Amino acid sequence: MAAPVNIQTPSKTWELSLYELHRSPQEAIMDGTEVAVSPRSLHSELMCPICLDMLKNTMTTKECLHRFCSDCIVTALRSGNKECPTCRKKLVSRRSLRRDSNFDALISKIYPSRDEYEAHQRRVLDRLNRLHNKEALSSSIEEGLRQQARYRNHRVKKPTQESDNTTFSGGEDNGDTRSHLSHDSAPSQTPHPCGQTPSEAGPSRKRPRVSDDGSGPEADSGSPTPPLRHHKEGPASEIELVFRPHPQLVHGQDYNQTRYVKTTANATVDHLSKYLALRIALEDRRTNSETEDRAKEEGGGAEDRGAEGGSGGESGRAAGSGEGSSLSNISEKQYTIYIMTRGGQFSTLNGSLTLELVNEKYWKVRKPLELYYAPTKDQQQPQQKSPLPAPHPPPPPPPQREG
Amino acid sequence: MASQNMDPAAAAASNTAALKGSESSGSAARSSVSKRLQQELMTLMMSGDKGISAFPESDNLFKWVGTIDGAQGTVYEGLRYRLSLDFPAGYPYQAPRVKFVTPCFHPNVDEQGFICLDILKDKWSALYDVRSILLSIQSLLGEPNNESPLNTAAAELWEDQEAFKTHLHSTFQK
Repeated sequence: MAAPVNIQTPSKTWELSLYELHRSPQEAIMDGTEVAVSPRSLHSELMCPICLDMLKNTMTTKECLHRFCSDCIVTALRSGNKECPTCRKKLVSRRSLRRDSNFDALISKIYPSRDEYEAHQRRVLDRLNRLHNKEALSSSIEEGLRQQARYRNHRVKKPTQESDNTTFSGGEDNGDTRSHLSHDSAPSQTPHPCGQTPSEAGPSRKRPRVSDDGSGPEADSGSPTPPLRHHKEGPASEIELVFRPHPQLVHGQDYNQTRYVKTTANATVDHLSKYLALRIALEDRRTNSETEDRAKEEGGGAEDRGAEGGSGGESGRAAGSGEGSSLSNISEKQYTIYIMTRGGQFSTLNGSLTLELVNEKYWKVRKPLELYYAPTKDQQQPQQKSPLPAPHPPPPPPPQREG
Repeated sequence: MASQNMDPAAAAASNTAALKGSESSGSAARSSVSKRLQQELMTLMMSGDKGISAFPESDNLFKWVGTIDGAQGTVYEGLRYRLSLDFPAGYPYQAPRVKFVTPCFHPNVDEQGFICLDILKDKWSALYDVRSILLSIQSLLGEPNNESPLNTAAAELWEDQEAFKTHLHSTFQK
């Protein structure tokens, strides 16, 4: 029998295993029966077999239905065989995976506070290390102290948190045992570390607007300029960044240039924003009133921290400058700073984040941090969900030293 | 202490270089590897597998020492082997380097202690862990792959299990 020509052969052939061919379907429990599951078997269900941690941004393989954290399976496919780590079924690319948001929802239902779960797990691991590895005693005591301090911080902050989801990945990111540099200060600086993936980033996006009203729960709501945080360590490390106008929000030729900034890593996003406002105001004046030499002189000495001093000196001489460029009105609220997240979306940065933290949480690659700016809109919500990725920049010239 | 006699400028330069290195992706990756190794250590100690054990060599979590007891019913029964496991920064996406420390007379182990085992090479999967590696090596002891031997003498002698066992036990050194 020849197959009819007009019917296409199915593009998909299902290869069922013996088990799949013979199993009888499992009845769904509909009568409210409760089923007890031991913590251990529950853990093995919710665990990513690669990082051995609780699943985070669950991805499921489309054919063999094995689950992994998004980061874990993507790294595994990139660095190894193109097959399912669990069963060696061929996985061509990321397209062989699908997001399993139901499973993520299930996990957050069972463990509403992932933060606490992880803190607990770390304590267990620490105790284990202390017991069995005397040589690691000193280091784990140190680690333990840091964790306790962090845990205390979390507990103190609990009442002000908007949702538990926000703390999930933030707490996870803080769990990184990176250099001691920012560890003790990091939790206090960032009540809501913004390490979320785009899908979770909802609360943090609106934050800059909240603090615009002056009613935000942020630590910096009281003072217009956040004070410089001093690290206990000696000289703070430096950070280089490329600064561009937001491709969707900034139109025309207004201050449409790429800037290269080098500053200390403990400067905050607000510092940067204020510095930008000052630069742009100065450039406006330069074009408006043609006082080029004076502006250049001021601009050369300007840096994020010198902003107040510069504006004071300038306002005395400021005569016929345009309305937007009055240097005494410079504020970090004038511009909003964005960063492009992995999905090609623009995410607003909280003003109290230090650049070091921004670099740690969003950037993570060994090239200068790239940030975007746009004037803050007081009335309308800035459209951050623009799907267009930024045009790729030309190779950056050597950063000019501004600080 | 070692840096006492160094040129201070050079020392400072190398310090900042180290600092920069640890601040970028390296530190985050390293800590996630540590976390996974700690988890493995815990499960290993909870599981209480007979015949295998493993533990970090010192406070460096990236170097472990493992032991394997020859399985019952094989010529290796009664012998205990020490191995070293060296975890790369890309673990578990890359296999650890596993080596016999105790000399091992076996068709798939060479004189330096290197092991020819597919799951440590191209068949590695991120799901393998210290426990599954040690169990695999334990079963490799009793079931060598004589098609591609590293130690041809051992491969040839394998046919005669009695002679193999005599040779093995007479040459065994801890």
